[in-house]
Amino acid sequence: MSEISDAEKVRIASDFIKHAPPGEFNEVFNSVRMLLENDDLLKNKCVNAIAQYNVGQFVPVKLDGVAKQTLITPYNDLGNGRFYDEVSKKSFKYDHVRKEAADLQPHPAESGITEQWRQALQTQLDIYIDDHYAKSGTGVVFARNGVFTICIESHQFQPKNFCNGRWRSEWNVPVGDGKSGSQEMKGKILSQVHYYEDGNVQLFSEKEPVLKVNVSADFDKTAKEIIHAISEEETIYQNAVQENYANMSDTTFKALRRQLPVTRAKMDWNKAQTYRIGQEMK
Amino acid sequence: MGEQQLDCALDLMRRLPPQHCDKNLTDLIDLCPHLVDDLLSTIDQPLKIAADRETGKQYLLCDYNRDGDSYRSPWSNTYDPPLEDGQLPSEKRRKMEIEANAAFESYRDLYFEGGVSSVYFWDLDNGGFAGIVLIKKEGDGAKNITGCWDSIHVIEITERARQAHYKLTSTIMLWLQTNKSSSGVMNLGGSLTRQHEMDAPINDQNTHLANMGRMIEDQESKMRLTINEIYFGKTKKVMSDLRSTEKQSELEKQDEIVRELNNAMANRGN
Repeated sequence: MSEISDAEKVRIASDFIKHAPPGEFNEVFNSVRMLLENDDLLKNKCVNAIAQYNVGQFVPVKLDGVAKQTLITPYNDLGNGRFYDEVSKKSFKYDHVRKEAADLQPHPAESGITEQWRQALQTQLDIYIDDHYAKSGTGVVFARNGVFTICIESHQFQPKNFCNGRWRSEWNVPVGDGKSGSQEMKGKILSQVHYYEDGNVQLFSEKEPVLKVNVSADFDKTAKEIIHAISEEETIYQNAVQENYANMSDTTFKALRRQLPVTRAKMDWNKAQTYRIGQEMK
Repeated sequence: MGEQQLDCALDLMRRLPPQHCDKNLTDLIDLCPHLVDDLLSTIDQPLKIAADRETGKQYLLCDYNRDGDSYRSPWSNTYDPPLEDGQLPSEKRRKMEIEANAAFESYRDLYFEGGVSSVYFWDLDNGGFAGIVLIKKEGDGAKNITGCWDSIHVIEITERARQAHYKLTSTIMLWLQTNKSSSGVMNLGGSLTRQHEMDAPINDQNTHLANMGRMIEDQESKMRLTINEIYFGKTKKVMSDLRSTEKQSELEKQDEIVRELNNAMANRGN
């Protein structure tokens, strides 16, 4: 059997890394490393996949001297391995393998009115996170070039129970730049759960809602309305997923295999032949 | 090193999305060609259906009825595409295979009310023999949810006088998908594996077929309960923990009420 090219190996290894379930990056990375048997290739060529994974997962990160965590996302990615923290107004270098921040540096902030919008939104978002993501949520309002994006991440890592999960949502907030009246707000909600005791069961769910929100010059009022709309929609989504679970369990699953035959009795394996012949004679 | 790599490959397959297990397996084999035989015989894949060229009857494909790129039908005992010197079971195993396929068609009718099933047997080097029972049932799409159940039961049999030892490894794959405006896309799928061993007498009332059949029936029913608990219990619970639909302040009020009730009960008990 012929060996594949280095480029193809990198493609495969990168694919594997990018599909690691939440909380299981290290395990996947270590397995890929063992199978690739080429640390130079892994270090030099797969680094992009690792960065893409962290950015896509909205991995939370704690910065020295900053009370609240921020998230690693496309919306604060400055390039060259550096990211921006909205609270401290500093950039930091992020080690994508160790998942650690370092080398905090001052970074130019956005204009005054942009920061006013961002802070009003962040204040309401913090209340929302405390209300609905108390167990393990992080919510950040990113502002860049006058564009506002809310990112929410929440995870449950329970390796002792062979169970991990992550929620991500992002919302393109239509404020600033003189916008007013009814505005369209696009979002994306993703959920993933992995159960892996004596098996491998995974849930993937994704919804891309489009909401209408009323925007005015009043920062606080508008911020409240936007976060309220997000809260309502995320509850609609979550209730719909719960309803899917109920339908899948009560209807679909039950119809695939009965717990017992219609006769309410187990099969008589000594009469298996007779039963089939009877069927064919009908 | 080979064994360590195999462990890593299997661990990887336990973590990567099962919804892409075909692609993941292909990529793994490309990355580590020397593991191909171990991977193909160890990693279960969703069952594929083929039709018997002679009778048109459907059957299921797996590594154990495969020879090169051809698959043997349990109904006609021939390979498709045709193979000049394809591997065939011994006369004894073939007889057992025919009986087992008929029996499991009855089982499939009773429990799955439809679907496709196939049973294959082969002799082992250690003097024993082994078999695989495959069952596939696709849902009807009710409530806009597509579902599919795949059963893969591999059983190894060792005979000693009037007694036999059975070692069963069962894997069940369940795939569920829906796409609705309120929830978006939802894809819940994967597999669970369980093992069970048993000794049983061999006599007129307890043939190999009856012993295996009961064992597989019991194991599959137990696993159905476990699947229900994991798919619709544990993963759903994690979803609820990621975000609460109720406000934290309301949850705290509820906790406080429960605490007060507990205190009242405790005081009255004294």
